[in-house]
Amino acid sequence: MTYFKFICLSLSLCLATVSMAQNKFTISGKITDVANGETVFGASVFLKGTRIGAVTNEYGFYSLTATEGDYEILVSYIGYATAVQAVTLSGNLNLNFELEEASTALDEVVVVAEESEQVNIKSPQMSVSKLKSETIKKIPVVLGEVDIIKSIQLLPGVTNTGEGSAGFNVRGGAADQNLVLLDESIIYNSSHLFGFFSVFNADAIKDVKLYKGGIPARFGGRVSSVLDVRQKDGNSKNFELNGGIGVISSRLSAEGPVLKDKGSFLIAGRGSYAHLFLNAANVENSAFFYDLNLKTNYTINAKNKLYLSGYFGRDEFNFGANFLSGYGNTSGNLRWNHIYNDKLFSNLSLIFSNYDYQLDFKAFDFDWISEIRNYNIKYDLSYFKSDKLKLNFGLNAIYYNFNPGEINPTSETSSINPLLLDQKRAFENGLYLSAEYKITDQLTTTFGLRHSYFSRLGGQPLVDYQDGRPIVYNETLGIYEEGTPIGITNFDTSDRIEDFSNFEPRLAMAYQLNENTSVKAGYSRTAQYIHLLSNTVSVTPLDVWAPSGRFIKPQLSDQYAIGYFRNFKDKWYALEVEAYYKTVANRIDYVDGSDLIGQNTIETEILNGELRAYGLEFLFKKSKGDFTGWLAYTISKAEQRTPGGIAGGPGINNGDWYYAAHDRTHDISLTGSYTLNTKWSFGANLIYQTGRPVTFPDGQYSYEGINVANFSDRNASRLTAYHRIDISATYVPNRRPDKKWKGEWVFGIYNLYNRRNAASISFGQNRETGANEATRTAIFGIVPSVSYNFKF
Amino acid sequence: MTLRILKRLVILLLIVTSCTDVVDVEVPEAPPRLVVEASIDWEKGTRGNAQSIRLSTSAPFFSNLEDTSVTGASVRVTNTATNEIFVFSDEGNGLYSTITFDPVLNQTYRLDIDYQGETYSAEETMTSVVAIDALSQSRESGFDNEALGVDIAFNDPPNEENFYFFRFEEEGDLFPELLAIPDEFTDGNRLDVFFEKEEDEDEGIEEFVAGDIVNIKFYGISEQYFNYVDLLIEQFEGGGNPFGTVPASLKGNCINLTNPENYAFGYFRLTEVVCTSYVFE
Repeated sequence: MTYFKFICLSLSLCLATVSMAQNKFTISGKITDVANGETVFGASVFLKGTRIGAVTNEYGFYSLTATEGDYEILVSYIGYATAVQAVTLSGNLNLNFELEEASTALDEVVVVAEESEQVNIKSPQMSVSKLKSETIKKIPVVLGEVDIIKSIQLLPGVTNTGEGSAGFNVRGGAADQNLVLLDESIIYNSSHLFGFFSVFNADAIKDVKLYKGGIPARFGGRVSSVLDVRQKDGNSKNFELNGGIGVISSRLSAEGPVLKDKGSFLIAGRGSYAHLFLNAANVENSAFFYDLNLKTNYTINAKNKLYLSGYFGRDEFNFGANFLSGYGNTSGNLRWNHIYNDKLFSNLSLIFSNYDYQLDFKAFDFDWISEIRNYNIKYDLSYFKSDKLKLNFGLNAIYYNFNPGEINPTSETSSINPLLLDQKRAFENGLYLSAEYKITDQLTTTFGLRHSYFSRLGGQPLVDYQDGRPIVYNETLGIYEEGTPIGITNFDTSDRIEDFSNFEPRLAMAYQLNENTSVKAGYSRTAQYIHLLSNTVSVTPLDVWAPSGRFIKPQLSDQYAIGYFRNFKDKWYALEVEAYYKTVANRIDYVDGSDLIGQNTIETEILNGELRAYGLEFLFKKSKGDFTGWLAYTISKAEQRTPGGIAGGPGINNGDWYYAAHDRTHDISLTGSYTLNTKWSFGANLIYQTGRPVTFPDGQYSYEGINVANFSDRNASRLTAYHRIDISATYVPNRRPDKKWKGEWVFGIYNLYNRRNAASISFGQNRETGANEATRTAIFGIVPSVSYNFKF
Repeated sequence: MTLRILKRLVILLLIVTSCTDVVDVEVPEAPPRLVVEASIDWEKGTRGNAQSIRLSTSAPFFSNLEDTSVTGASVRVTNTATNEIFVFSDEGNGLYSTITFDPVLNQTYRLDIDYQGETYSAEETMTSVVAIDALSQSRESGFDNEALGVDIAFNDPPNEENFYFFRFEEEGDLFPELLAIPDEFTDGNRLDVFFEKEEDEDEGIEEFVAGDIVNIKFYGISEQYFNYVDLLIEQFEGGGNPFGTVPASLKGNCINLTNPENYAFGYFRLTEVVCTSYVFE
């Protein structure tokens, strides 16, 4: 078995190098926040006067190796005071550090974290953005609801299809090409209320990392990006209550130590008020969401720690009494951190996630459910071989169940017949090894290789088509039609319908020009085996996921990126410039007028196409001082092309390239926050984007008593440019220092100058005049908000 | 009722709730095409001899459609089994008519049009429809439990694929409401289709009240026509909204034999139709 060999090889590689460490010793340990015991991810541990350093992993663990001698260890993390400790290295050391948050009050000396940004310069990792929960909370948002997905859209290279639309798009990729992870669990729909809000409760989140490219080999399964969201572990020192009351929702979270300081827990809940959006029509409509985050951990001993985390979220919509709808994600993850020795760290995860969409049509006496579920085992290891070499390796296996749709009549008199679409099953696994190697003091490389394997499992029938063509171009009418079925093949549950495997190399290198400047380059290949079926401009919660198989091939992406990184003025400022070029093969697209819901033979509605995107991103950041923020600018292009292939004919849009719906030529965001004094702080956003590509009518005619519009080439027109300014102010009232209750008021105005940004323009006929007209839909005008947050 | 139609309704409801206004937009302009509205509809219980076909041209989206009638074309329909030809004579106002048409269910017919030196052609089969079983009014049906609506019940023939097309038009309205449904999820059952209006001041829609008259046409249509008209309706109702399907150029069945690129808009359909009207009480 090749996998076995592969892992054997990687293990022996590690073992072979252990014996070489003569006169060298290892310092390892954990970095936590002194205030709440939360582990710190991405903190820099550095031996002063040397080039030896390490960065903590997701669990706060670090390991570095140096020759024996006396050193001064500096531990720094942005926003925290640098910890310094003198050590004599004459044997392996275990050193844990607790960092203290740097105060930003005016009359105090602003602590400059000496080395915290330097790591960015040295590490080959590029195309990554990290936001801490605190940063996200400072960004002004609509209706005062802190939103991670909206925050990442302020970063270069990230867009979405418009206000109130679900998901996000990274470097020209589609919304289903993002791997969204909440504590490693796959989240299939990242939005609440059709995209107005995100599923992540900022009170429960520690930090967010977005990989736009250079995706590390340990991640796989999506071709465009990885959004790695980590929940807080829970305060292990004190019991703490956090909450907030806002105009759209309220939230409450509790955290604290449990089991004699051996563990901690976090429980956070959030709910919106109903009847908010949909009171326009006469009908009694309502829409609301709620979610629950849970996390707990238990330290067995210094080398073993268990984590259990869970998420449950739900959206409910009622349109009158006759139509009910709901959707939500559920996920859970049990993790076991095990430190084999001071150089080898491991984590085993058992993960479950589920997404379902339900409809109840009382008017027609039937209901509908569609679902995707997966069970996932991951085993990840990090081996900190020496100050020059660090290895990450592991494996991952996922079992999927897809229920593309099930209809059940809900009464005896229902006119609907029960229907169960073919249930689909699949298995995916990945095996990876990546090595970060410091070739010289200036040049560091990461070489990663992931081998992914996907098997579409049997247990369902498949239609056989004449000439193997499920979709055929009708030359006479000039349209695509369903192919001719010639039979049905039944696959047993023990059969495998189709297997795929891919090697996914990931390469990155960083060349440090001087202490403050580096250039980086990277190449990554990624494969994606499951696809979101969506032929609407925006992703809707109804869209269903489909596995690769006989008719749908895995998406394969190649991305090349090159970047320039520079820190200025004692690292108060940073500049990041990146250029990327990305291609995605086997991107499915939908023939004109395709009907995807309740469709058992999706293959008759789709063609295989490709996607390409390229762009240049600038990010100028100020991360220290009273004023912090960033300016992001992206110039880019994202296009799709879908030729006819074996179906014949010219393909979609005549086989020509057309703009993807999330293409934005120019995308500028300016985000800043300013701390005036201990009572007041302010935030502002300015956003400008080229209008979204849309399909406008190029003519009309009279037919069946109505004016029928004829639409031009796909996405050939554009909406007007999108822009707005948001502001916020946070007020912390005077309080006695001994008082435990801490409160703050957050006032915000979204879309300050009340611009009616078009979310869409629809074309129709006026009922009173019969004349054609274009109707602009603007989601948010000026939206003031106020919320009160408290901590106890 | 297809889920797709329901999805559309849900989405429309969502869109309705945000703020909308009418704006000036520049749209592309394609050269005009011939538009064929060749709807050979045979009313159940009649002889179906009198038929007419309307020809016009397409025009820029924000232009007036009144003067787009096409005259001077030659229009004929052929029964492909008997080769009997029915010539539709030019009325001079865009209409081409005959009073000698001989409709036969499940029979394929061919339409030929000569216009400006190019020949257009289409083929379709005449599709039957079942009778309306019951016509009633209620408030409970539909999305709005308060609004008055008309319910049409009919029995779908089992074990065969059927496609239906409805045209509802309240007297006094400028244009009709259209609905196309397959029996994909409802084969062999008694189907209820309702038509109600939800009040919307912006759109100028008023709920039905006693005394309102609705004209209802219920057609049996072919699968191919269903695919065409379903997309047409979807685009008419939701063209451009972000949750709607990406709009596309609509192609009917009228091909241009002389110059295939210059195909005609519209469709040559042959249906059996039940026409009725309902007066709200």
